[in-house]
Amino acid sequence: MTALVRAAFALVVFALSFAARAQLTIEITGAGANRIPIAIADFAGEPGVSRAVAMVVRADLERSGLFKLVEAGAPLAENAAVNFADWKAQGADALVVGSVQPTANGRFEVRFRLHDVQKQASLGGLAFVMAAPQARTTGHRIADFVYEKLLGEPGIFSTRIAYVVKSAGRFELQIADADGMNPQTALASREPIISPAWSPDGGRLAYVSFEAKKPVIYVHSLASGKRHVAANFKGSNSAPAWSPDGRKLAVVLTKDGASQLYSVNADGSGVVRLASSAGIDTEPFFSPDGQFIYFTSDRGGSPQVYRVSSGGGSAQRITFEGSYNVTPRLSPDGKNMAFVTRNNGRFQLALMDLATRQTQVLTDSDKDESPSFAPNGRMILYASEIGGRGVLAAVSSDGRVKQKLSVQAGDVREPAWGPFLKN
Amino acid sequence: MRRLLSLLLLVAVLPAQAALFDDEEARKRIEALRTEVNARMDKLEAASRGQIELANQIEALKQEVAKLRGQIEVLANEIESTQKRQKDFYVDLDNRLRKLEAPPAETKPAEAKPASDPAAETRDYEAALGLFKSGKHKDALGAFLNFIKAWPASPFLPSAHYWAGSAHYQLGEYKKAIELFGKLVAAWPDDVKAPDALLGEANCLQESGDAKGARKALETLVAKYPASGAAAVAKQRLAPSRPPRKK
Amino acid sequence: MSKKWMIVLGAALIAGCGTTVDPEQPGASVEDRNAKSIDGADVKRVTPEDNLGTALAAVKQGVLAKRSVFFDYDSYVIKDEYKSLVEAHAKFLVANPRVKMLIQGNADERGSREYNLALGQKRAEALRKMLALLGAREEQIEAVSLGEEKPRCSEGSEACWSQNRRDDMLYTGEF
Repeated sequence: MTALVRAAFALVVFALSFAARAQLTIEITGAGANRIPIAIADFAGEPGVSRAVAMVVRADLERSGLFKLVEAGAPLAENAAVNFADWKAQGADALVVGSVQPTANGRFEVRFRLHDVQKQASLGGLAFVMAAPQARTTGHRIADFVYEKLLGEPGIFSTRIAYVVKSAGRFELQIADADGMNPQTALASREPIISPAWSPDGGRLAYVSFEAKKPVIYVHSLASGKRHVAANFKGSNSAPAWSPDGRKLAVVLTKDGASQLYSVNADGSGVVRLASSAGIDTEPFFSPDGQFIYFTSDRGGSPQVYRVSSGGGSAQRITFEGSYNVTPRLSPDGKNMAFVTRNNGRFQLALMDLATRQTQVLTDSDKDESPSFAPNGRMILYASEIGGRGVLAAVSSDGRVKQKLSVQAGDVREPAWGPFLKN
Repeated sequence: MRRLLSLLLLVAVLPAQAALFDDEEARKRIEALRTEVNARMDKLEAASRGQIELANQIEALKQEVAKLRGQIEVLANEIESTQKRQKDFYVDLDNRLRKLEAPPAETKPAEAKPASDPAAETRDYEAALGLFKSGKHKDALGAFLNFIKAWPASPFLPSAHYWAGSAHYQLGEYKKAIELFGKLVAAWPDDVKAPDALLGEANCLQESGDAKGARKALETLVAKYPASGAAAVAKQRLAPSRPPRKK
Repeated sequence: MSKKWMIVLGAALIAGCGTTVDPEQPGASVEDRNAKSIDGADVKRVTPEDNLGTALAAVKQGVLAKRSVFFDYDSYVIKDEYKSLVEAHAKFLVANPRVKMLIQGNADERGSREYNLALGQKRAEALRKMLALLGAREEQIEAVSLGEEKPRCSEGSEACWSQNRRDDMLYTGEF
């Protein structure tokens, strides 16, 4: 009996240490040209929680590559009088102050305020009631507020990312906060897992798993941990993409021979063919307005990006330069398309302005794959390889800010950036 | 199917008859049957080999059709963009012609000089441009500089400055080129050639080793003429860590 | 109708037992399940379970133990050197209609995972078509792709990539 307990304990320890090793570390390798200098003072009140919250806010804003942290000194309460001249002298354009007060039943009230130092005015603030373990979540929400007030677009610090970690012949589909912290395993398997795709409400993940010795599409509910088969037809089932209303999936099936595009309801019913060609059609992606499906096809002799009206019809070719353009992913505003292009044998991430068809190559690496836009469209997360090991990287859509995300032991691949959480 | 049944029947009946005929006879008939069956199987196999051959040919044809389809797609796209460019050229030309036609109407008494012979002016300009396009940069430079002197009121003046600057650039005379480009941008900031001149200036600075200056010129270009074709080129160059994409 | 046939076949069997009809195979009776001949009697007599068991033992040896077909770069045509192997497998599938086969197509690692999955499928499909043309039944074979996910070799060299551009054939019980 004790042996059993010991064994169980060893297993738990192993699981914990694995989780620790699987933590994504993020490294900024390039920053924006005009970073906003901001000071984030330690919050007044309960020192432990206060430091934890302020640290997250600082790390988030700095990692975005759009802010420069200014040394803040002593804690400042949310309602303290601000000496704007002093802050101006220290070079800060903005200042965050706040306080943490214990409330009944061991919870804390966190209040903060953002000040515009130049204009000597308050830009507003928020108050949260939280338990101590929620310090990170609260920090992310404060950072989102600051980001949106100062840059005019929503922040993505409270969003989550999904990715697959391969280590020692084991595949894990993990979900972590956008800063790589707090990773949780949604699925572990001895067989590969690829192509995770977030449902628009962020509650489900569709993915392809090879556990049945062939690719099968599953839809996995994150809250319940339950999943169901969304497509398991004769042949291969792959490349799931959610329709913007979250009801349907565009998928690739080979039940009639070659890889072709079909639509299925999220519960796996109602299979309808979307497009047909004599070659390969794969990697579907809905435009955010749901009007078009962008996809990769070799119908023209080399893999290129095409689009077809989601109601069917003839396909229109989108990419023309080069002989390998794959994996189209549209920005949330539908104006730009990220894709992977091959230049002299190197696979790189490119961005096309869909109105002008102007294309810009964003990366300078060899094996870039699987781009995925942040829900505010600012960053693109993608898979790359450094020293033979899979890493995730992110680049801003203007190519300036660059980040690298890696796991210490193992390959990370197949990233998918989750949507904004509505709450 | 029917063939198989009759075959079975034969096989079934034959041994039954064996009691009546001697073994020798039976053996012979079975042997014959076996040979026939084998022959038929060979034929069948040959047929399916033929089918495989056909299937392979169809596959090859499919690939060929795909390639052709790809070429048609590329050509159609090229035609579309050429037509668009053609239209842009036409609009540009039309604008210039209008400028050419307009001045006499506005200032008719003063400008009725013999010096403004539009036909001769256009001829000189075209001749200089012809020299430039055929790669005679030195001759073109002379022609454009003469043109600038001879036709100080010409609507072609900004363009002449641009081409003269370009000729200097081609000849490696970056300082002089920058002078002409700079004059164009300063004197005719609204001219269609102004963004191109800024791009030319950036090129000259780059060539003469002033990467910082070149970058600044590109940034000015993007800021001042964001919608121009030259700005698009500039944006690509300004993109970090990337040389312009190869066509 | 079928009863009548059974009687005829029964007669054939009894008669067969009585005489050694094939001088080339002295020991062979009609019970011999390995007989290469196409005597209908043979096939009908054997119970399916036995058939499957013996058949699956057969695929572990000889030419049928070879299960991989390799492809050239960016090619989806079965090369001539593999035609006899494919024919042997086709013959086996025809002779054992209850046996099923899973074809797993593979691709090398370069480029998009999903596109590589489709390329692997194209290779699996090429082999499936050839087996079907050689007489294997539609429901006997499933062609799927593992894309670049199950490389046999994982160094970034052409020698290695060529190992990964292949189809593997798996029989009932192996998948």
